[in-house]
Amino acid sequence: MDRQLELLQGTLGMLILKAVSLGPLHGYGVLLRIQQISKDRLEIQQGSLYPALYRLEHQGLITSEWGESENKRKAKYYRLTAAGKHKLQTEAEKWNRMADVIAGILGARPEEV
Amino acid sequence: MRMWSRVRSWLRAVMRWARMESEMDAELRFHIKAFAEDLVRGGVPHEEAMRRARIEFGGIEQAKEECREARGVNALALGIGVNTTVFTAFDALALRPRPVKDPDRLMGVYRTKEGGNRGALSYPDYVYYRDHSKTLSELAMWSGGMHVTTSDLSVVASEDALRVAGALGFRLPQLLQGGAQRLSCVFVSGNYFRLLGARPAAGRLFLPEDDQPGAPPVVVLSGNFWESQFHSNPDVVGSTIHLNRVAFTIVGVTTADYIGALSAVPVLWAPIAVRPLLGDGTRESLENRSVGAGIVYGHLKAGISMTDAEAELNVLAAQLRAAYPEVERNSGVRVVSERKFNQIDSEAWPIVAATMGAVALLLLIACANVASLLLARAAARRREIGVRLALGAGRRRLLQQLLIESTLTALLAGAVGLPLASWTLHLLVVEIASAIPSYWGAIALQVTPDIRIFGYTVLISLLTGVLFGLTPALQALRTDVNSALKDNGSVLGQQLSKSRLRDLLIVAQVAACLVLLINSALLLRGSQRALRVDPGFDSKHVVHLSLEMAEPSNGYSQARLFELNRQLMEEIASIPGVTSVTEASRAPISGGNRFVPVGIADAEPPAGKGGEDKRPTAGYSYILPNYFESLGVPIISGRSFTIQEAETEAPVVVISEATARRFWPDENPLGKRLVIGSANARPPFAGERVPFSPSSEVIGVVRDVRSLFLNKVDESYLYLPLSGSRYWTSTLLVRTSGSASSLLATLGSAVRRVDANLPVVLAPLEWMVSFNPYFLISRIGGILSSIVGVLGLFLACLGVYGMVGYSVMERTHEIGIRMALGARPPQVLGLVLRECARPMLLGTAIGIALSAAVSRLLSAILFGLNPMDAISFAGVSLLLIAVALFAGWLPSRRAMRVDPMVALRYE
Repeated sequence: MDRQLELLQGTLGMLILKAVSLGPLHGYGVLLRIQQISKDRLEIQQGSLYPALYRLEHQGLITSEWGESENKRKAKYYRLTAAGKHKLQTEAEKWNRMADVIAGILGARPEEV
Repeated sequence: MRMWSRVRSWLRAVMRWARMESEMDAELRFHIKAFAEDLVRGGVPHEEAMRRARIEFGGIEQAKEECREARGVNALALGIGVNTTVFTAFDALALRPRPVKDPDRLMGVYRTKEGGNRGALSYPDYVYYRDHSKTLSELAMWSGGMHVTTSDLSVVASEDALRVAGALGFRLPQLLQGGAQRLSCVFVSGNYFRLLGARPAAGRLFLPEDDQPGAPPVVVLSGNFWESQFHSNPDVVGSTIHLNRVAFTIVGVTTADYIGALSAVPVLWAPIAVRPLLGDGTRESLENRSVGAGIVYGHLKAGISMTDAEAELNVLAAQLRAAYPEVERNSGVRVVSERKFNQIDSEAWPIVAATMGAVALLLLIACANVASLLLARAAARRREIGVRLALGAGRRRLLQQLLIESTLTALLAGAVGLPLASWTLHLLVVEIASAIPSYWGAIALQVTPDIRIFGYTVLISLLTGVLFGLTPALQALRTDVNSALKDNGSVLGQQLSKSRLRDLLIVAQVAACLVLLINSALLLRGSQRALRVDPGFDSKHVVHLSLEMAEPSNGYSQARLFELNRQLMEEIASIPGVTSVTEASRAPISGGNRFVPVGIADAEPPAGKGGEDKRPTAGYSYILPNYFESLGVPIISGRSFTIQEAETEAPVVVISEATARRFWPDENPLGKRLVIGSANARPPFAGERVPFSPSSEVIGVVRDVRSLFLNKVDESYLYLPLSGSRYWTSTLLVRTSGSASSLLATLGSAVRRVDANLPVVLAPLEWMVSFNPYFLISRIGGILSSIVGVLGLFLACLGVYGMVGYSVMERTHEIGIRMALGARPPQVLGLVLRECARPMLLGTAIGIALSAAVSRLLSAILFGLNPMDAISFAGVSLLLIAVALFAGWLPSRRAMRVDPMVALRYE
């Protein structure tokens, strides 16, 4: 297995939004989905997941309701709100632009400068 | 929308604290279980999987704490919010300079008499000072106000206002909508607005030319009235409005909420010179040097001190004394700074002080709460701190870090508290003020938070942050590195001082909260009693009917008024159910109290220094002979007046029992004689007559009633004969055999049959009780302190909840051992609850003792309710203990669920 990358500061919220945009998830499910999509290359502190979820809910970007988990247990499911969808879009755009710029800078060769 | 979701989430977090906590618990437990199950599926044994899942998750409590913070749950915000609210109100009342030009140099000029209180200057004296003073730049006068009536406007009654009034327990008198409406109008000199630097919102404000005798009558509207009645239409300027049937030109509008040097916004402003036109006094009363006309304001000129100005004005006063030795005897002038609103009534001061005290208590509760949270968090972070210390971190650095954290928490709380404060203020001041009838004028306190309020909030936030962050921080730093690393926080010895501090915080919270709640219960029960108190007269079957117009103008001649009065009384008497109609100069318990000095005729008056009147004073009213039967006041001995005696205003008097006891304790008062008033008394208002009779025979004694003040029986009261054909009083009292309130509509139509334009205010006497200032003080005080008290209770419960929760968390290990050794769950519950019950009971005892001290101060406004009222004390104490125990019980259930095996292995 590759060495796990530590999450960049401030990106957890965006990843959570993306994860729940694919369908309602409970907290543990969010963790699993991010790990699954990233093919376990990203290390997420489990303890920091919930504060982030609560913050997003407090900001009205996601909402929660109690439902039943795959193995018939009560679990709290999160889903994206309209505001969350919008936020995810702008964040993703920003991130992509930033990544482009940074990739451009890092990829610059001496003759181009 | 996002803002709203934040508020909702915050509110939910605050209101459903317990539910949110248990949901958070459930959610995290689910996470760990699900994770462990996945591990089990991968072949790890169950026990081991649970352990690994917990380790993987990291500090559960820390995660929870961060979740709570993410929700913005902040008890301190509430405390700071309420504190800021009351500070703002207090600031608006007592600290903020008047919203006028140069408030620092604004002076008030008052007339003084040797040894007497300061009083109003007469109009001619004012003119003399205005024209001769060289130390004050300009002297302007505010000459009181009156209600004027107009038929030009449609009446707008607000449903909301009625509802709020109902909720507060007021019963507003009904204004008969015969097309006439009452408006409050204040009189100011022509230079008043110029002195105070007011700007018009439309048109112009007064000029000195407007305030000349014979000048065309003009009036200025308040911005508030302009907005509510004319929808801020600028075309109103230049139009005509009839006030008391005299045509006035509207020349301008003040800005909204403009109060000048007053404390409430009037509806109309008029020049002093038009006063006689409106029927309030006469031109001559403005020339009378013995009648006080109003308060005079002026600006100190540059480089002049207050004492200089007072000295100069007293030189002018000496000139006046020389010129008019009769009226100006002993009189001088005082100059007083008018920078602030210092006219909070002396009666309201205890209430203001009590409210400020209550709110300080609330802040204390909030602080104690935060301190115990920080303390608990510091306890939970002992391990982290221990590690840092072991790795060589300086204690100063750590202290710094902890302090910065608590200060940031407090500042954040302040940021939430500030909008909370302005919202509460809006609710309290604006909504309650809107319940007050418009003809009382509007209350316009400056309650919008400004930089000062902001500064205050930041300051108390910082103070609470540092003060209450310091103790837990120091506690945490006293950590012994070795034991902290082992994290056996619950091992006895060390725990002791920490839990004692925590207990102390609970004691303080419970005590403070109890003081608030007991006193609010006392005030509310007292005001409830006021509504049921037996005033001694029949208030349930009597309607008070008052003609709201100035005599004798308002377009009615003197003769027409007497004719109207006669017609009204006849018309009303013919209504079925009405048993009698009477007239009096004032109705009991409806304000307008009048007092006159009395003594035994032909007896030596008590010696007073410098010819001062040392005789006792008595309340009085002029009445018709059938007054006593109409109000149901029994005549104990003697008789009422005959019609003949009333008509000629013969020198006879009916006195109350208390008066009889006072003057003739062991004798029959009938046939004895009283000297009432003195020949040279000054009327309290221009044009009002003052009783004077050198020898009046006592012809009757009637039962004592509460007619002056609701909270006590009149100490002395005289009933004087009223001549219905010579004097007009504007107050009729109608007795009915049925209920008074059901008579209002019939009475209204009877009045309209006589004259459709008469502005009449109707109210059963019972309703007048709710306008009594003592009732208002205890009712509003009770409502305010119960709001603050309930907030305090809520905060204290959060504190108890938090404390018990953390102590259960910390003692998980110990509880596990106990349960492994055979302790039953109820025993464990008892253990935990006993621990929190001890400080709670101690707090209750202290709270009761403090309340007993405070309630003694309130006894004057409790309407005879025992200040040690058992129901208030015992009931509230029991309620508080029950609620607090419940708050402790919720988290302690967790202790019962502790699985000994898990607990022993726990981290």
